[in-house]
Amino acid sequence: MLENEEIEEPTIKPVKEIFQTFFKSYSAVTGLIILIGIAVMGFIGPIFYPTDPFDMVWMPFSPPGADGFLLGTDYLGRDILSQIINGARVSIAIGFSAALVSCFIGVGIGSFAGFYGGWVEETLMRITEFFQVLPTLLFAMVIVALFGSSVLSITLAIGAVSWASVARITRSEFLRIKELDFVLASRSSGSNNMALIFKVILPNAAAPIIVQSALLVGAAITFEAGLAFLGLSDPNVISWGQVIGSNRVYILDATYTVTFPGVAIFITVLAISLVGDGLNDALNPKLRSR
Amino acid sequence: MLLVLLVVVVLNFLMLHLAPGDIADTIAQTMGGADEQDMAELRKQYGLDQPFFIQLFNYVVRVALLDFGHSHFYNLPVFDLIMERFPATLLLVFSAQILSLFVGILLGVYAAQNPNGLSSLFVNMFSLFGYAAPVFWTGILLLIAFSLHIPIFPVSGMRDITIESGNFFVHFFDVLRHLFLPMITLASIFFAYYSRLCRASMLEVLGADFVRTAKAKGLSKKDVLLKHALKNSLSPVITFAGLSFSAVVSGAILVETVYSWPGLGTLAFNSIISRDTPVLLGILIFSTLMVTVGNLLTDLTLKALDPRIKI
Amino acid sequence: MNKHFLKTLLLTATLIFTSLGVCFAEPKKGGTLIAAVGNSPRHLNPAVQSGIVTGFPGAQLFATPIRYDNNWEPQPYLAESWEISDGGKTVRLNLVKDAVFHDGVPIKSSDVKFSLETIKKNHPFKTMFAPVVSVETPDEHTAILKLSSPHPALMLAMSSQLMAIIPEHVYGDGQDPKTHPQNSENVVGSGPFKLVEFKSGEHIILERFDDFFIDGRPYLDKMVLKIIKDPATRTIGLENGEIDFYAFENVARNIVRLKKNDNLTVTPDGYAAIGPIDWLAFNTKTGKTADVNVRRAIAYAIDRNFILKAIMLGVADEARTGIHPGSPFYEPNVEPYNLDIDKANKILDDAGYKKGSDGMRFGLTVDFGWPGLKPNAEYTKAALKKIGIDVTVRASADFPTWAKTVSNHNFDLTWDTVFNWGDPVIGVHRTYQTSNIKKGVIWSNTQQYSNPKVDAIMEKAGVENDMDKRKALYSELQKMLANDLPVYWTNTLPYHTIYSKKVGNPPMGIWATSSPMDMTYIKD
Repeated sequence: MLENEEIEEPTIKPVKEIFQTFFKSYSAVTGLIILIGIAVMGFIGPIFYPTDPFDMVWMPFSPPGADGFLLGTDYLGRDILSQIINGARVSIAIGFSAALVSCFIGVGIGSFAGFYGGWVEETLMRITEFFQVLPTLLFAMVIVALFGSSVLSITLAIGAVSWASVARITRSEFLRIKELDFVLASRSSGSNNMALIFKVILPNAAAPIIVQSALLVGAAITFEAGLAFLGLSDPNVISWGQVIGSNRVYILDATYTVTFPGVAIFITVLAISLVGDGLNDALNPKLRSR
Repeated sequence: MLLVLLVVVVLNFLMLHLAPGDIADTIAQTMGGADEQDMAELRKQYGLDQPFFIQLFNYVVRVALLDFGHSHFYNLPVFDLIMERFPATLLLVFSAQILSLFVGILLGVYAAQNPNGLSSLFVNMFSLFGYAAPVFWTGILLLIAFSLHIPIFPVSGMRDITIESGNFFVHFFDVLRHLFLPMITLASIFFAYYSRLCRASMLEVLGADFVRTAKAKGLSKKDVLLKHALKNSLSPVITFAGLSFSAVVSGAILVETVYSWPGLGTLAFNSIISRDTPVLLGILIFSTLMVTVGNLLTDLTLKALDPRIKI
Repeated sequence: MNKHFLKTLLLTATLIFTSLGVCFAEPKKGGTLIAAVGNSPRHLNPAVQSGIVTGFPGAQLFATPIRYDNNWEPQPYLAESWEISDGGKTVRLNLVKDAVFHDGVPIKSSDVKFSLETIKKNHPFKTMFAPVVSVETPDEHTAILKLSSPHPALMLAMSSQLMAIIPEHVYGDGQDPKTHPQNSENVVGSGPFKLVEFKSGEHIILERFDDFFIDGRPYLDKMVLKIIKDPATRTIGLENGEIDFYAFENVARNIVRLKKNDNLTVTPDGYAAIGPIDWLAFNTKTGKTADVNVRRAIAYAIDRNFILKAIMLGVADEARTGIHPGSPFYEPNVEPYNLDIDKANKILDDAGYKKGSDGMRFGLTVDFGWPGLKPNAEYTKAALKKIGIDVTVRASADFPTWAKTVSNHNFDLTWDTVFNWGDPVIGVHRTYQTSNIKKGVIWSNTQQYSNPKVDAIMEKAGVENDMDKRKALYSELQKMLANDLPVYWTNTLPYHTIYSKKVGNPPMGIWATSSPMDMTYIKD
């Protein structure tokens, strides 16, 4: 690739080409379809399946299929199918907003570090290092202990501890791109630093950041489940993690109460990573030739 | 390094200080109740009645003198508590890391040989299983399968204390038997990362000039794959392994909880919910040091693989 | 009819023979008991640390003056006999003559005096020995307790884990007994077992003490207490035979499951003195729940039977008052507040809480003290919706958070489990006394309930030595409390002991594992 120095210009691929590459991959398309299906289930499903996930509708621990409850009932006789449907919305929302928070912090820190260099970079990368070194789960637990176990604080806690990888990637992309010709050109044409960072360099660094953030969505969903397993979840909101966390003690006898939300998380995270792979292949200019 | 440590200490000290409740409440819980004189006395004893900055200052000074203080909950030196739990965590984390690296690389190499084939897809799916499933969920399912229905592995702990034999190997195999399920569970999270990284970098290396040359020279496929391609594609994998240490420790907390593994993860968890600040800070300082050592080892390994890298 | 009679006869006969068999079977010596415990104790010295977690190892390591049998009758232990005189104000303990501590030093009356004074000063249950003014030691084997007033709770306070006899020559060395290093390591006890190793979070290993003051006891050579926090893991361990014994199981689902296992015995017996009760506490001072009508309406709207059948799966007992149903002072004839939604709605209508356009009257919050009560809190939300109360479940991240919220009186409703600890003076009075409204102290009168009549009755009952008169006073107390309803009591926490068939004589008294297991043995 070194011999092609003259094509070192904006590396954004045409949108059409991105779509083409993405949709050529069966696994990426499958992942996307599953993901859309789950999102549709979460947002529109309650209209077609109106059972309130908090209502005690039947005997507790009615096994799946029996008595007209497809996935059975939980320890209070609440419909697990309804919990899975309604939980989809919350889990996906937590996943995306936590990833968004991470992305926001990570891109902010990474871009400034990469762009300015010097002591700014030194300081910011120290902070990043600190978040990379800390066991994230512990740190998130401390945050939840401090702000209480509401959906908001759990989401923020997940976002606040998982941005280090985004920051690193953003920084290295910035370090690479800021020396390229088109950046130097627009710098000499008088663009100010903010414009350079957000309008010129960031769009060109977007591809790996998007891929990494997509993976963070999946990671955030399992992270939330992990916190719920340790007892940190919001009982006023049905999320898959919350369902697992509160049914955890019944796992031996009523395994299905934990299996179904577990499978839901599994499928969703799998779909997200398939989409992530697809995005990676489609957005990564290096792979164009293969 | 020291700066990072200081930030870790100050931030966590502050957060636990601001979180509702304190160690006196926790002790009242274990007692089934306490009266206000007792609680005031406890707070005085642990210096919790003093202003925040004095508490923090005292702590930092003590740590600077290499004294981690006493656990408020257990009344034991924090250093002793950590040392008691550390070997278990080290064993779990390292064996899981090594296993996942081994399996991940194996899968990655296998998949790289036929990047678009069915086997590659299969490997990808298999490795994603551990990544996508919540780790505690995998753990409990394995426990139900292999401790309850097919009882071949013990359900909890690290060793069988009733073994009286002094034979080293008896104890070795006993620990191995206890380690098996927790190790697999923890390793399963990382199969996907390593196999995919390895596959990607293998593909990159396989297309490089020197591999083509080696092929042209008539070296066997196996030799090319193992001697040249693999060696050169390992560095991103190992770099990542070094970086993911804190994720491994996070996973270890959940795995230790499921298998009652007597490690640092559960101790850290309890120190948060019981507001045992010296223990939590001790563990954080300790794990920061561990990660630093881990990173150093990573660098050394990288150097061994590729002498051109300077540390 | 006839057939039924024969069946009953046969059953009775079998029961008699098996129980005789148990009595006559010679306990076997030796063997190791593998027990599980659900939490790591802070340390092992019950003189300065209460709670069931320390109680289990604590009662094995340390002996108490007396012990209780299954029928709430005091039995000799370290005191071979005792006399109560002076209207209950003098208690004379005659100690066993040849008792020694684990380091071989004889146990003397001065140790009893030292232990009692240490406990009085450091133990959280201040009411236990509050009236004890002094301890006289006329000779090495006699201790005389002088009281300022009669104190019927004293006998229970001298049993179980509550009055551990600790060696003065070890714990009297000037260090604070609460943080004494020998609370966790090199423990010098007086009980049937001595400490081999205590590893927090992993295990406690105890070994037979050969010079124990009861000849031939304990039967077991060794006890291993494995610390396993996860209930599912413990249950698998019991089922696959890795664990022989677990007490204090309270997950109803696991109890029902383990009952089906032929290799295990599951029993609710043995917890009468521990006396754990699940209840819904009200803030009686501020907010809507300050109105007794609101409290009553809530009680009528919450179906105790649903909790017993659906949440507790039939393994817990009904508790209508704040005294455990297993206690001799329990009074079942109080207003039970059985489910009556119409009545609840009527009470609220009459009290002027009109339903809004959305069918709701007002909102309340409900907290819960530990994760096991989360189903109760969630059920409360669903149940009170039916009478127009919009309930928000507040989850505390951990115990200190909940304790801070409730002890600072920032709550409307909270589910909680509170222990009786033997005598009502120790574990019941604290919840209702006006003098025990103490901000910042959990398990004080956090309801801020205050009724001078109730205070007066408790004061009287606390010093009444005549059992029948005392029962009558407590009966009146429970009726008054059920009327004022500072707390809505629902059920006992279903503590169960689970043990393998090879375990003989598990602790079945009133104190469960907070009592010495010197008679427990392993069958062939």
